[in-house]
Amino acid sequence: MQGTIQWRRALCRVAQQLPCILLAALLSPAAHAGPTLTVAAFPAVDEIVRAAMPEWKKIHPDVEIKVVSRQIVDHHSAMTTALSTSSHLPDVMTLEVGYLGRFAQGGGLEDLGAPQYGMHNYQALYVPYAIAQATSKNGAISAAPSDIGPGTLLYRTDLLARSGVTEAELNASWDSFVDAGIKIKQATGAYLVSHVQDIKEIVIRTGVRPGEGLYFDAQSHVLVKSPRFVRAFQLAKKVRQYKLDARSTQWSTEWSESFKRGTLATQMSGAWLAGHLENWLAPNTAGLWRATQLPEHGWAGFGGTFFAIPKGIPAQQKQLAWELIKFLTQNPKMQLAAFKDQNAFPALLSTYNDPFFDQPIAFLGGQQARLIWREAAGHIQAVAVHKQDKFAEEVVNTELDKVLDQGKDINAALDDAYRLLEKRALR
Amino acid sequence: MKSTRLRIPMRAAPYVFLLPFLGLFFIFGLFPMLFSLFLSFQSWEPTAGLGSMQYVGWSNFTFAMSDEWFWKSFKNTLWLTLASGIPQHLLAIPLACFIHTAFVRLRNLAVGVYFVPYITSTVAIAIMFGSLFSTDYGLINQGLQQLAKLPLIGAIFPQQNIDWINNPDHLKPVIAMIVFWRYVGFNIVLYLAALQTIPEDIYEAATMDGASRLQQFFHITLPSLRPMIYFGVTLTLIGGLQLFEEPFILTNGNGGSDQAGMTSAIYLYRMAFDFNDFGAASAMSWILFVIIAALTYLTNRAFRERSNVKEAD
Amino acid sequence: MKTNQITRYLVYVLVAAGAVVMLTPFYFMFVFATHSRTDIFSLPPPLFFGKDFLLNLKIIEDHIPFWRNLGWSLYVALLSTLLTLIFCSMGGYAFAMFRFRGKNLLFSLVMGTMLLPSFMNMIPTFMIMDALGWIDQPRALYIPGAASAFGIFLMRQFISSSIPKDLIEAARMDGCSETGIYWRIVLPLLKPAMGTLGLITFIASWNNFIGPLIVMRSAEMATLPLALRNLQSPVNTEWGALMTGSAIATIPLLILFLISSRQLISGLTTGAVK
Repeated sequence: MQGTIQWRRALCRVAQQLPCILLAALLSPAAHAGPTLTVAAFPAVDEIVRAAMPEWKKIHPDVEIKVVSRQIVDHHSAMTTALSTSSHLPDVMTLEVGYLGRFAQGGGLEDLGAPQYGMHNYQALYVPYAIAQATSKNGAISAAPSDIGPGTLLYRTDLLARSGVTEAELNASWDSFVDAGIKIKQATGAYLVSHVQDIKEIVIRTGVRPGEGLYFDAQSHVLVKSPRFVRAFQLAKKVRQYKLDARSTQWSTEWSESFKRGTLATQMSGAWLAGHLENWLAPNTAGLWRATQLPEHGWAGFGGTFFAIPKGIPAQQKQLAWELIKFLTQNPKMQLAAFKDQNAFPALLSTYNDPFFDQPIAFLGGQQARLIWREAAGHIQAVAVHKQDKFAEEVVNTELDKVLDQGKDINAALDDAYRLLEKRALR
Repeated sequence: MKSTRLRIPMRAAPYVFLLPFLGLFFIFGLFPMLFSLFLSFQSWEPTAGLGSMQYVGWSNFTFAMSDEWFWKSFKNTLWLTLASGIPQHLLAIPLACFIHTAFVRLRNLAVGVYFVPYITSTVAIAIMFGSLFSTDYGLINQGLQQLAKLPLIGAIFPQQNIDWINNPDHLKPVIAMIVFWRYVGFNIVLYLAALQTIPEDIYEAATMDGASRLQQFFHITLPSLRPMIYFGVTLTLIGGLQLFEEPFILTNGNGGSDQAGMTSAIYLYRMAFDFNDFGAASAMSWILFVIIAALTYLTNRAFRERSNVKEAD
Repeated sequence: MKTNQITRYLVYVLVAAGAVVMLTPFYFMFVFATHSRTDIFSLPPPLFFGKDFLLNLKIIEDHIPFWRNLGWSLYVALLSTLLTLIFCSMGGYAFAMFRFRGKNLLFSLVMGTMLLPSFMNMIPTFMIMDALGWIDQPRALYIPGAASAFGIFLMRQFISSSIPKDLIEAARMDGCSETGIYWRIVLPLLKPAMGTLGLITFIASWNNFIGPLIVMRSAEMATLPLALRNLQSPVNTEWGALMTGSAIATIPLLILFLISSRQLISGLTTGAVK
């Protein structure tokens, strides 16, 4: 009776300890004397940091680096949790650009512009828009950029050739882009874009005034009725009218299949897509793709990684963390290594003179595409971030769908979006 | 029995038996509940730390009540709960009875087969169903195309490929189907466990009295299953109103076009983790709590009307 | 009784058809586990087994300490199931068979936790675990779970509907102690419920990823669902390896089901009332 229950409980306790004992026996590394830096990251940044460890050891032999890696969304959830309780914070926090604005505004990250870090002395080393992305309204620089994702337009030369379309026609203006699409569809049956949303995303980013965000301005006024939105919707409508988009969501089976089968003529994305096409998405199409700038000089960034230092860690860890961040982001050797191994486009300007950029890329038919991307990196504008941006994005997408699928009037749609966003702008 | 052992008096017995459970519950179950209740009256950006909470009174609740998307997601949730829940039980009960009586040696296998969806990983489900329901190349549309070519009955099948996932009108039935697929086996297991406790003699006596199989089903089986049906339906209600995983993975976390697949739970999640409004998310979860509690209470009343003699209390 | 025969056969056919529908995605999970991600992402998808299983396995092992994570998943799930069965059967018995003050209020409170989404508890749970010093420890996963509202609900329902009060009364009058009643009378009659709850608790613990996400910090201590997520990235998911990992992770659940279904679906409990 009771005895059995007690026996069970004791067994539980032993069972609890056993793995710990075993583990301790198995693991027991030699006790590490010097300090340890914990870096919280996600794939593939974790690989980049790990690859940098041998070089780091040469300069700081007594500082151990420990990388804690999680899936990207999980990572940011864990970081949110850690920041919310100021507990179990890493020494170096990796942040993806989509989350950077929010974390920076939260106030839990060190201002790297402060004298003990002196980021203001270094900021000219980096691609300007990346620094701008890390700078908040009050001038604090919350993170150091590590890699960026310059936007590019990848297109199939063979499909263009068959349709008699030149590259210049493709990116001279949005209108010529759409016209080219009509020709391509007629001649080859291939779609121009995978989804009209890609076009919308880029067009709404053109003509953003300094200090303005995408959907809200600095005073939280809603901007969705401005001309850039109207134009984006009009272009999208035209593209859908002529059935130029494949209506496939990115990273779906249909999307990847359209690359393999050559039913998609162009794709707007970060430069890193070329690597994926080559590795696993459509290796059979090697040599058929080329890269060019986005239509009508629609400079845009697709992703980007930053390193930050949380406020809640001990002071001496902060200094060491800053050393590591400088090492990873300001050392050309490290930046280039990340570029070569993980396709992480450097944020450090001095690397842009490296001969690696001049190398032809076989998958793109020997094109020196990195030069194109390097040029794009210099033109991208940073856009101010607002708390309700994610919600706004969703609302605009919904209204766009209604315009395209249900024939809703564009102005009515934008009015509805305006109404919804106005209610939330000040939350 | 060892007479030296301390005997628990009957009056203290329930407390002693409940102690371990309640101990854990108060620490791990109650605190998060209270925290969330507290949070619903605050405005909070978590990355700023605990100290940055600001008291805002009822404004989170008023915001939630007047929020279009909140009610939209609730309607979706209700629809999905009914559309996936009702078929689950309508099918699980007869199926459990059938398996109970018809299979002896293959019983484990039969139940196992229906239970397998419950243990299939969500990642696999996402890829599978995404692939099956793909507009241009999915097996379902391919199958429908073939059927549409048949003479005569081919006319009732759609001639064009159906856009299952991106079309808001089609997404909901797909989600309901997946939820049904996933949980019908779970309910079969529950009902089968309950069927085990009905003694054979009652059926034998009824057969001898001349009752048909159908009559036995309605007059013996169903009433005996009543407590388990109450249990199963309550679970389906609670689970359905909190539906999160299946629509989440099918729509990649965003609830689908025109938020057709956005359930209340998904909206809540997005409020907290995508739109960074933990205060409003907490308030919404409590509004939802009240609604679900009310519905559960009504279910309780409905099933208690003619309570089983064996039920305690 | 020809129509009876026909209906019977018809039902068998329907059940079999249903079985095919139930099994198809499961089948494909294992098929995909043996293909590379290029193959998986093609349309039509592969229908039969491929040859990339070992390759996928290698990819998994390169990314995560898969087997250690499997071990932890097993450890946590077993302890979680054990504790839940003990605590919930005792608690369910108390709620079902006794009258005491605050009973309904308490039960409603417990049930209340089922009405709130679990992801909202992330931050307070983190705070508790941090205060207890349980971060990065498996006990943070299996101990809280033992206070399962579902478990106590199931037990209460089952006990109150299948164990007659007179039986308990009789035992009491015979001089049996309270623990004796629980141990000798109630528990043996709970077999199907214990089997069911055990199975469901094990599966829930096995598939739980929010818990480990909050509590575990190192890759070595993670359980399987969390670890497998590390194979995912917005642009670079190792689909083949992910399917392989998911497929392997499903096997223990399958085994467990086969074992416990014997318990569940074991013959009839005759003479219970006697």
